[in-house]
Amino acid sequence: MIRIFTTLIVAGVMMTATAEARPVSYPDGWTGMLMNDGEANTAHIHYSPTAKTSIGYKYEHWRDKEYDIHAVQMNNLLKRWNEKGVFPNLYLKSGLGVVDGKGQDYDGETDMAGFTGIAADWETRRYFTSYENRYTKAGDLDDFFQQSARVGIAPYVGDYGDLHTWLMVEAKHMPENEDKFTVTPLVRLFKGAHLAEFGMSTSGEALFNYVYRY
Amino acid sequence: MKTLTLLSTIAVLTFANPAFAEMDKMDHATMDHSTHAEMVMDGKADGAIIAKSGDAHISVNGLVCDFCARALEKTFGKRDEVKGIDVNLETKIVTVNFNDGQTLDNDTLTQIITDSGYNVEGIHRVE
Repeated sequence: MIRIFTTLIVAGVMMTATAEARPVSYPDGWTGMLMNDGEANTAHIHYSPTAKTSIGYKYEHWRDKEYDIHAVQMNNLLKRWNEKGVFPNLYLKSGLGVVDGKGQDYDGETDMAGFTGIAADWETRRYFTSYENRYTKAGDLDDFFQQSARVGIAPYVGDYGDLHTWLMVEAKHMPENEDKFTVTPLVRLFKGAHLAEFGMSTSGEALFNYVYRY
Repeated sequence: MKTLTLLSTIAVLTFANPAFAEMDKMDHATMDHSTHAEMVMDGKADGAIIAKSGDAHISVNGLVCDFCARALEKTFGKRDEVKGIDVNLETKIVTVNFNDGQTLDNDTLTQIITDSGYNVEGIHRVE
């Protein structure tokens, strides 16, 4: 598992590719995120002391796995290639906390938990690609790997302050699941401090994400 | 049914949003961006203000989205010397308008942009 994870990290770095919204905000900026898909419901709030680091609290409710994770998460901007009209980024995202068992199998069990992975994105005003992976160790309860990638296109290029719309497709790979691959077409709407995403996977699972920056 | 609902939503958003964008562009089109800067601070447009002598046009690499513009707006908004900024995502030019009798030197402007996570390609002062 570790070899696969290492290989994928290296591959991800080389691809310079990711997913999700910016893991790091501007200096002194706060970000609140709610993410919901077929696997989990998560809430994450982080503070960015600089444009290269954010630190915050993340709560994850894994519905089928029957446990919750509470973690302090730190995101680091490893590299940004500022080019005219192109904006590639590479991030390291890691968290440390506790897993809290739920349901029949794990009810009442708690243990240390941690996760780490990379996220990368490449974005212009018209096109978007991203890749993200993560290895999670939930104490003795569980450990798993996941990765996802996105491609997106803006049907129109708006000016600053407009409502921006992106049409995206997300492919998610969770090797341990019965359905190892899920594909989710989604719409991203972005205006001012608000970003919302709505989608429905090919297996019928709804996706709703909301991000607020202040 | 779910797929049909999703496709309908995408279709509506795809065809409806350009209309919204064009409406906003019509409003912006009434301003001459070559001589005027739309001063924005904390997300509120205060109307068109003529860029005056000493104001700075900064060419910035990495500006591709509203988030980038908002980052600069927030960062410059903390400086007492700055009255407001305009971010043009098309040209990648940030126009900084200073309060009367105040300014920031080019090194400081560069440092602010760099600390925000972007690169300065050049700075031009309005004469």
